[in-house]
Amino acid sequence: MESLIAVWEAFPYLLQGAVVTIIAVVGAMGLGLLIGVPMAVGQVYGNRPVRFLVGLYVWFFRGIPVLVLLFLFYFGLFSLMGLNLNALAAATLVLGLTSAAYQSQIFRGSIQSLSQGQLKAAKALGMSDFMGIRTIILPQALRLSIPGWSNEYSIILKDSALAFVLGTSEIMARTHFVASRTYQHLPLYITAGILYFILTWAGMRALRGLERKTRIPGYSHG
Amino acid sequence: MKKTLCFMLTLVLSLVFCGISAAETEYINGIDANFPPFAYVDKSGKPSGFDVDSADWIAEKMGFKVKHQPVDWDGIIPNLIAKKIDFIASGMSITPERAEKVDFTIPYWTIKQVFVAKKGADVTVDDILTGNKTLGVQQGTSEADWLKENAEKNDWNFKLRYYNSAPLAVEDVLNGRIDAAAMDDAPAEDAVQKKPVKILGTFGMKEERFGYAVRKEDTDLLRTLNKGLEMLMADPYWDELIAKYNLKEK
Amino acid sequence: MPEFPAVWTASFLSDFLADQLIPALNRGLWVTLALIFPSATLGMLLGIVIGSFRTFGPKPIRKLADGYAVIIRGTPLVIQLFILYFGLPNLGIYFEPYTAAVIGFTLCSSAYHSEYIRGGLMSIKRGQMLAAQALGFSRIKALVWIIIPQAVRRALPGCGNELVYLIKYSSLAYIVTCIELTGEGKVIASRTFRFTEVFLVVGLYYLALVTVASYGLHTLEQKLYIPGFGRGDR
Repeated sequence: MESLIAVWEAFPYLLQGAVVTIIAVVGAMGLGLLIGVPMAVGQVYGNRPVRFLVGLYVWFFRGIPVLVLLFLFYFGLFSLMGLNLNALAAATLVLGLTSAAYQSQIFRGSIQSLSQGQLKAAKALGMSDFMGIRTIILPQALRLSIPGWSNEYSIILKDSALAFVLGTSEIMARTHFVASRTYQHLPLYITAGILYFILTWAGMRALRGLERKTRIPGYSHG
Repeated sequence: MKKTLCFMLTLVLSLVFCGISAAETEYINGIDANFPPFAYVDKSGKPSGFDVDSADWIAEKMGFKVKHQPVDWDGIIPNLIAKKIDFIASGMSITPERAEKVDFTIPYWTIKQVFVAKKGADVTVDDILTGNKTLGVQQGTSEADWLKENAEKNDWNFKLRYYNSAPLAVEDVLNGRIDAAAMDDAPAEDAVQKKPVKILGTFGMKEERFGYAVRKEDTDLLRTLNKGLEMLMADPYWDELIAKYNLKEK
Repeated sequence: MPEFPAVWTASFLSDFLADQLIPALNRGLWVTLALIFPSATLGMLLGIVIGSFRTFGPKPIRKLADGYAVIIRGTPLVIQLFILYFGLPNLGIYFEPYTAAVIGFTLCSSAYHSEYIRGGLMSIKRGQMLAAQALGFSRIKALVWIIIPQAVRRALPGCGNELVYLIKYSSLAYIVTCIELTGEGKVIASRTFRFTEVFLVVGLYYLALVTVASYGLHTLEQKLYIPGFGRGDR
């Protein structure tokens, strides 16, 4: 009973944490998209040095745990660069940089699955490389990437829980704060788990909706 | 569709990064929000506690604004040095190692480090030290460093286990996974009030004193905080706070 | 500015790196490896079982296994570990930190593996099961000797990814007080305030682990490759 009261009283506070979580996740996804698309294009169409650099970036960010990256950037590299970011901004940035590595591979897969003749056809019609990629390749590739993207959403959402190590007051950190005061660890962490579960479910549903909405009738791939 | 998406993205990103610049007269106090009764978040989610109320009072008297920012304890001094927070009023013991990195105000509170064990457990402090027991501590605290160093010197044979916060260590005392947790006496009293645990007593660590920490170069802020602390400790409000948070002056 | 030596002098390298950091991290590396190996093996086996349940099990078991996978994949591992370690004692179940971490990692990766295995199983033609049964195999035997060996090959790239994830997420073990690579790094970093150097080196350790694992998995895939049994057959 005592535990239910603790959860009930903490619930609005945890919900605010969900808003912080959503801000971090949406920010990170957006950032990952902004960096990931050019990286994917560079990896498919770029010259050797570009491909090498993108490969190096992907290797680095996919090979190091998010937790280690958070510590490294927040306490180390960001300060060295003179960036004075608060915990939420830093966590969003690190999650975004990591996600860029993963997203670039999702987009690369989609681009490569398109028939290469399309870009040639675009060029034959007088389009520049850039224009062909932007108006012909990417609109198709991005559509194809939505399933991979929704998977990535669920991963980032769960990774965002690690931001608590920086003191970002998202769901996980807030759960810890309340548990420290009330000593009701189990019910509070179960509540946090349910919140994350709802966010995963809702986000996946929304992305499935997006997939359906952007579908082109009669266009099937593969 | 594309435009709205772009707009939303810009909005979210700017929302995230807008917190970077703060007004000049506002100082950020970094707290360990897992350290009741000195610093924690209350039912409504607001930072509160003895140190938070103290800092609020000082800010009002000395004419600056203060925001309390929960920070992971383990990284609180790096946070201060990296200017993510401006001072630390959160039950921080003054130690020589820390004083190399940061400056401390005048001490405002004296604490003892104690062992906390399960109520009814048949152990003494000596049992914990020399009886092959398991002992929990919060990572990055003075007691964690002290126990590690002195165990080697004194041939103590307990096993240390590191926790993210003192309440988590207490939780594991209750779970029976560790025989005792080492922590400051005030949060230990807080735990005794809420859970079936008892204080075994001190274990030989010298008394420590709490002070506020500031960056070495912020001498103005140090002076302001010192003056504020002196005023506060001379004010009747100080005793009110002590009563409010159930602290015992020693 | 945070502590960052203007020049990484020889004495810095020998005093800090060689005497303090590397020995501690090597100690942590062994714990990390001791976490990964059992979790990876058990996770894969459990993943195959759950993946088979999800594909061929009777309806109630199928639903149960599906639910298991959905719940585990829908919540952060760090919350699962907290509940496993700090929560279960409320029900009288106690795990040591190492055990709790291994169980948490095993359960988590089995849920992800089951997803890939299920995909692999569904890609094997239904007719094979019927053919095996016609040859006198029982359902279970056909599954174990005919269907699963093919499905695992198909699932291997996905499962390999999952193993790489497991290596990285083993860094969460220190949160349940099992001090491994990241935990050792954190202890030193917060004592010496050298976050950049410590976590760069910790990062290199993980990069090495992940790179070696990826290479090994790639080799394994090549080894298990059956000519003609490619990605077609769908």
